[in-house]
Amino acid sequence: MSLLQVRKVTKRFGGLTAVDDVSFDVFEGTIKALIGPNGAGKSTLFNALTGFDRPDSGSVVFAGAELVGRRPRDTVRAGVARTFQNTQLFDELTAGENVMVGRQARQRRGFTAALLRLPSALAEDRDARAEAGRLLRLIGIEEWVDVPAADLPAGIRRLVEIARALATGPRLLLLDEPAAGLNATESRELVQTLYRVRDAGITVVIVEHHMGLVMEVSDEIVVLDRGRKIAEGPPRMIQKDPAVIAAYLGEGGDDDD
Amino acid sequence: MGGRTLRALAPLAAVAVVALLPLVVTDRFLLKVFTFAGINALVVVGLALLFGHAGQVSLGHAAFVGLGAYASAYCTVRLGWPWPVGFAVAGALAALGGLVLAMPSLRLKGHYLAMATLGFGELMALTFQEAEPVTGGVDGFGGIPFPSLGPLEVGDAAALYWLVWAVVGVAVLAAYNVTSLRPGRAMRALHGSVPGAQASGVDVVGVKVRTFVVSALLAGLAGALYAGVVGFISPSVFTLTASVTFLAMAVLGGTGSLAGPLLAAVLLTLVQYIDALIPGLPQEASQTIQSYREDIYGLAIVLVVIFAPRGIAGLWSRRGGRGEAA
Repeated sequence: MSLLQVRKVTKRFGGLTAVDDVSFDVFEGTIKALIGPNGAGKSTLFNALTGFDRPDSGSVVFAGAELVGRRPRDTVRAGVARTFQNTQLFDELTAGENVMVGRQARQRRGFTAALLRLPSALAEDRDARAEAGRLLRLIGIEEWVDVPAADLPAGIRRLVEIARALATGPRLLLLDEPAAGLNATESRELVQTLYRVRDAGITVVIVEHHMGLVMEVSDEIVVLDRGRKIAEGPPRMIQKDPAVIAAYLGEGGDDDD
Repeated sequence: MGGRTLRALAPLAAVAVVALLPLVVTDRFLLKVFTFAGINALVVVGLALLFGHAGQVSLGHAAFVGLGAYASAYCTVRLGWPWPVGFAVAGALAALGGLVLAMPSLRLKGHYLAMATLGFGELMALTFQEAEPVTGGVDGFGGIPFPSLGPLEVGDAAALYWLVWAVVGVAVLAAYNVTSLRPGRAMRALHGSVPGAQASGVDVVGVKVRTFVVSALLAGLAGALYAGVVGFISPSVFTLTASVTFLAMAVLGGTGSLAGPLLAAVLLTLVQYIDALIPGLPQEASQTIQSYREDIYGLAIVLVVIFAPRGIAGLWSRRGGRGEAA
């Protein structure tokens, strides 16, 4: 069943069309990859899907509801979580507290409840702490829980950001270059993490340059080049697609069309 | 374990010292100095939330203190309302001012926000001067009665001290609850990364607005207490210099902490009255210290930023950026 329907999404910046009439579906319980040369429009598309950028035209339907025009906060509360190409952790908080902040997308108790230290606020706090511990264990980085984010190695930062995104309780998780900055061992562990996330019933879309990882984990791949979708299909098909090969080999080439 | 016990006992010891001080310090002027320290501490608790946790700079907090002071003076003197009502109106009016100042903070940050808040502060300072029918203009507003709770007038130096510090105590407790739970993490989150906070479902606008409002409210209450303690207010009190002093206290105290800014507020207030604290101090020395006061603050801030970016709080907590260091 199609969880996310991207339809004719276009985003322009001045004269540049960063995303040009892109459509695709993401099916529930699958891992989909968005690939393409630098500047293909992958991150812009992510921003358009998560309320950080409003597309100029097109529609994004998630679980039957239109996402275009919603703010980031409403998008994440609707069940779409994301990470960033440049990790956006909270440096003054520990790894565990970073993940607890993600839980805020699901929390109801407000400022006054906290100010009066009402039992409901304390219960929510305990729940967030427990959930953060559980997610850090799921990802295999529980030993970093009390370390300030500012002191975390780059690879662990990426994984903490994934844990934080999972804490929002998403049905769809968008990961922007999760393997960037990871060493070979960490990349292998990331693959296992992605499978665990998918097996937990969460649909995943990744933007990634690490082709080995993309070909291994994804059920389907969308290839973007200069804002347009040039191919879509399972990994084996994409690897043989002449348009894809041309886009990658001809990067910065002179074959304008 | 010893360190943990110490940390658990430190707040109790601090409360005991503050509560029992008037039994030891009987000099009325000195007691007033510690009362002023409490009034400044109340403003700085608000700034510890706004600046120390949410990372929003305000160079206009003296305006909220002034708003609270004039509101309370007007309610008690001109309208003849009971002091607690004037106190509440002072907080509410300052909170409203905080709501107004929160608007630019939604679009501006860093130096631009500093400039916007500075502009707000100057505008309010000018208003205090020009709104003569209400504020008394440059001549000031006198004859403000002591605070009173029902039939009980709080006029005695020790009683004023206790009233002020009781309000500080409630404010610190509320601020501790806020910073140690979800709202505090949200504040520090938007200080760290706004996109990250948005992607985590944090209500960025709501957190900023609430923090500004609470911070302004505390400053307004401090203003009402100041008016009651001194009995006379004039525009020359609520100036940029005062705003800078409050911010200096918050910066020196350190980010992510409440105890650090509180201590800094007390220490920097005492510097202003150094001659009263050290009776043997030659007058020249105290005059020198007074005339270079702002320079001393400035130098202290520079030194803190270079050598101890987490402020006083960072000196006792190796992990200065934590909310639990309160």
